[in-house]
Amino acid sequence: MRAVNLVPEDQRGTVSAAGRSGGGAYAVLAVLGGLALMAFLYGVAAHDISNNKAKAAALSAKASREEAAATQLAPYTSFIAVRESRLQAVSLLVGTRFDWAHSLHELGRVLPKGASISSIDGTVGSSSASASASSKSAGTTATPASASSSVASATPAGTVPTLTLNGCATSQAEVALVLQRLRLMDGVGEVKLASSTKSAGSGSASSPGSCVQNNPAFIANVSFQPLPSPPASTAPSTTLAANAGGANATGGAR
Amino acid sequence: MTARDRLVVTIVAAIAIIGAAYLLVVSPERKKASTVSSELNSATVRLTTAESKLAEARQAQARYSAAYASIVTLGKAVPTSEEVPSLIYELAQATHQKKVDFSSIVSGSGAGGSGAAGSSAGATAAASAGFTQMPFTFVFNGTYSDLEKLFATIDHDVVRNASSGELKVNGRLLTVQSAKLGPLPSAGGSSKPSNQLTGTITATAYVLPAAQGLTAGATAQAPAGAPTPASAGGSSTSTAAPAVARVTP
Repeated sequence: MRAVNLVPEDQRGTVSAAGRSGGGAYAVLAVLGGLALMAFLYGVAAHDISNNKAKAAALSAKASREEAAATQLAPYTSFIAVRESRLQAVSLLVGTRFDWAHSLHELGRVLPKGASISSIDGTVGSSSASASASSKSAGTTATPASASSSVASATPAGTVPTLTLNGCATSQAEVALVLQRLRLMDGVGEVKLASSTKSAGSGSASSPGSCVQNNPAFIANVSFQPLPSPPASTAPSTTLAANAGGANATGGAR
Repeated sequence: MTARDRLVVTIVAAIAIIGAAYLLVVSPERKKASTVSSELNSATVRLTTAESKLAEARQAQARYSAAYASIVTLGKAVPTSEEVPSLIYELAQATHQKKVDFSSIVSGSGAGGSGAAGSSAGATAAASAGFTQMPFTFVFNGTYSDLEKLFATIDHDVVRNASSGELKVNGRLLTVQSAKLGPLPSAGGSSKPSNQLTGTITATAYVLPAAQGLTAGATAQAPAGAPTPASAGGSSTSTAAPAVARVTP
């Protein structure tokens, strides 16, 4: 059986979501909603602008005041920097010195009884190097610690201290013992024998530089480890202590 | 125009109105807000930097007295001028304590000259920056043990504690470059062996750059160019160095 629509054709309404306005009402609502959202975004942005502008102005003013105060106190900062730089420079110079006293003490300690030393010639680095040459090399071999305080040490880090010993021994075996013992000195890198010659003439121990007859006169070269670089990070920890009565305003005559 | 066409036109018009509102009004304001926000960030960074600088400066101000004392003390190790008389006095005192005869001092690295002090020691301008080097050659006479102790005394004028890093200044800073020890020629040709040695030492003293000065124009109260603190706190201080200076920065 076939179904028949009994509603008259002109009264049959089309059921659509657009309704009678054809969707115009929805469009107006959407536009209003969109504009409201835009207004909200605009308001938030405008609020942020005014708020942040005020904050930025306040911070800038505070920063300007603090910068002015810091500028006024800048000489204090510069003075502390000068002090740190000088402390570092002096520490660098002290740190690259060769301990002559300790080396002489060590030499006296290790020398066997059957040997004596008639003369010692010690140098740090090349013996022919002048002060200017050594200062030049100091500039080129500057350690990290010296970067901020460019101080040329007369005995720069890396240079090798050497001792040339002229002496006498009771026998050649004793000379060998001397060489062995010299290696026991603190900080010695190398010991070399230049010569060991028995005196044939009628020398006597009384005359300086000569050995007793038939006793060998030897010349030995002792090279120490290169002078160390001072620690790179000395600046913050470096302090200065002067003993009582030590400080002097001019740093000069006492 | 069908209902469907009208719907499409309406939707397009609505989108166009909202888009135009965004592009013409909201977007520029948001860009402006973003710019102001970055300005705020840079102002914050500037303030942080200024605060840290000020804190550093205040810390430096607080440490000034100690720093002034220590820089004056350092001037004893590395003075502003040659200060040869004080060097001779120091060495004479040291040799007297160690029973060593202070025979001669010659300014310059070249040995050979004899006689007394080289008061007109020409400072070697080898070090273009930093301290200026002043080479000297000294001759001392004494026993091996006494000369060894003299070396130790010279080194101990300025000494650095390896563990604490503390620098102790008692006198002039000297770096010994070479040392020659040999028998002392006996006077009158005596054949009796002597334990006396002659030590020829080439050493370098250091001098501050002339442009710097000992305290770079600072006084005990304030550095050069800085405002003097308003209140001296009742205790007056002089420009002279304190007798005791112990510095812990």
